[in-house]
Amino acid sequence: MSTLRQRSPVSYALAMPAALWMLGALVVPTLFIVWVSFWASRSFSLGSPLALINYAKFFQRPAYVKVLLDTFQQTLILMAITLVLGYCIAYFAVVQVRRPHWKLGLFLVLVIPFWTSALIRTIAWIPFLGVTGVINQALLFLGVVGQPVGAFLYSRTGITLAQVSFYTLLATGPVVYVLRNIPVSLREAAQCLGATPARVFWRITVPLTLPGVVIGQILVFLNVMADFATASAIGGNKHAYLGNIVVLLYDSGQLPFASVMAVLLMLCMLGGVAVLLKVVDIRRLGIP
Amino acid sequence: MMHWRTRQKLVKGALGAVTVLFLAYQWLPMLVMALLSFTGPDGGPTFPMRGVSLHWYRELLRVQMVDDFKPPMLRSLLLALACSVTTAALSLAAVQAMRARFRASGLFFYLILLGVMAPGLLVGFGVAVVARILGIQLAWYTTTFAVHVVWTLPFGFLTLLAVFNRFDRRLEEAALTLRANRWTTFWRVTFPLVLPGVIGAGLFGFTLSYDEFARSLFSTGAEQTLPLVIFAQFDRQLQPTLYAIGTATTVVSLVTIMCFSLLFRMVRRRTRTGAPGAA
Repeated sequence: MSTLRQRSPVSYALAMPAALWMLGALVVPTLFIVWVSFWASRSFSLGSPLALINYAKFFQRPAYVKVLLDTFQQTLILMAITLVLGYCIAYFAVVQVRRPHWKLGLFLVLVIPFWTSALIRTIAWIPFLGVTGVINQALLFLGVVGQPVGAFLYSRTGITLAQVSFYTLLATGPVVYVLRNIPVSLREAAQCLGATPARVFWRITVPLTLPGVVIGQILVFLNVMADFATASAIGGNKHAYLGNIVVLLYDSGQLPFASVMAVLLMLCMLGGVAVLLKVVDIRRLGIP
Repeated sequence: MMHWRTRQKLVKGALGAVTVLFLAYQWLPMLVMALLSFTGPDGGPTFPMRGVSLHWYRELLRVQMVDDFKPPMLRSLLLALACSVTTAALSLAAVQAMRARFRASGLFFYLILLGVMAPGLLVGFGVAVVARILGIQLAWYTTTFAVHVVWTLPFGFLTLLAVFNRFDRRLEEAALTLRANRWTTFWRVTFPLVLPGVIGAGLFGFTLSYDEFARSLFSTGAEQTLPLVIFAQFDRQLQPTLYAIGTATTVVSLVTIMCFSLLFRMVRRRTRTGAPGAA
């Protein structure tokens, strides 16, 4: 018994504002994007005939297809890096840090940057990456290189460096959540039965944390696929992903073609999530 | 073959080193930005620093035509406050509805989660397209507000779902048995107990909206919010002013989080002392 009767009419009224908000500001606009992407006329006109011409135009231009492939490639690179890095951090924070004070402190220093503006954090990377930037000065000082490396700012390396620092926590978080739910006794039991630590890790810990890993990877996938700000700030318009093309086309007033990009981006994201969900049954999450 | 204890120590050391390096990697840019914002009037956007001064902060406060950051900051704060209140209220209502297991509640759950999954840029784009078709004027307090709540609502919703999962239903049942009506029970028993969760939902609403850039890009009209103005300025020229505004807005974020967590602790303490044995 709660303050509402089961299936009481009041519950529909309470759900209505949130549902209407999501429908009006998310679902309907998405459907509109799909509709506009089929407009055959170049400009903005409601009575435009519908056709597949915009999609044909996309796939006929190798430059655009390359952007699509680049976006995927960048996303896969980020997923690989954040998977390993994120897991190491999560494992260290949950399993190997024992004292509660250290745990709390570590949690705070990991999470606080996450609560600040991603845009500001992107800008903060600039003094690091330039030819006279911090990284180059450090490398020169250490004698690793003889002259400044120009490969950081306006490059994929720079974009990747910044993105790894933004998105690793998305991969760490869900793994931390799942790791904490695994009873220590499970690992201890395996060790008592003579399993080596490596075997305990691969046979007990990894399979049980898999749902967390997959959720983290979904978050990284979704964020990197749609990330355009990092590429445009650090890549300096020399590197474009699908999101950057949407911005470019929107600014030049080509709404139907921008919509095509948007629809393709959404389809890629839906497909990616579907594939990731095939790997593991998310509904098992939280049941160790 | 090493002893397994030695090996385990090595693994622990390696993972610790990775974590510490990652922390440095995450924090250093922000600290360097803060440091560079205090460079002298002749200083540029990179090292070496030319003296130490508050020049670039003074520059921020001086009224300028193009680069005045104050009105956008005010807009961003107001928008974040509005999102905070809306998120708290809507997610509390939505979770109450979920508890009554109404017919479409499964679908409703996924509908709200869509807000996290949908890429920000495209949600803003969609709303801009709809606004154009329907002839609605874009503005930060209408269209941007709508788009931001789509983003913040799921976070508040999930927070409150987690709170209600641990909620002791017997307290409500006791109140109802003692002949309080449902309305009184909700406001006198349920609401005070979940208030910390409601505050948490509000915090999500505030911080996520305050920093949001991608969703605002297409959905905001001529009067822009702070992240948009920062990005425009960054696109034109990288000056230490940007580091000053970046440091200032980061401090605003951190102060807000501290205020919310103080409020959170106060409310929780009061709930615990007000209802002995409830916690």
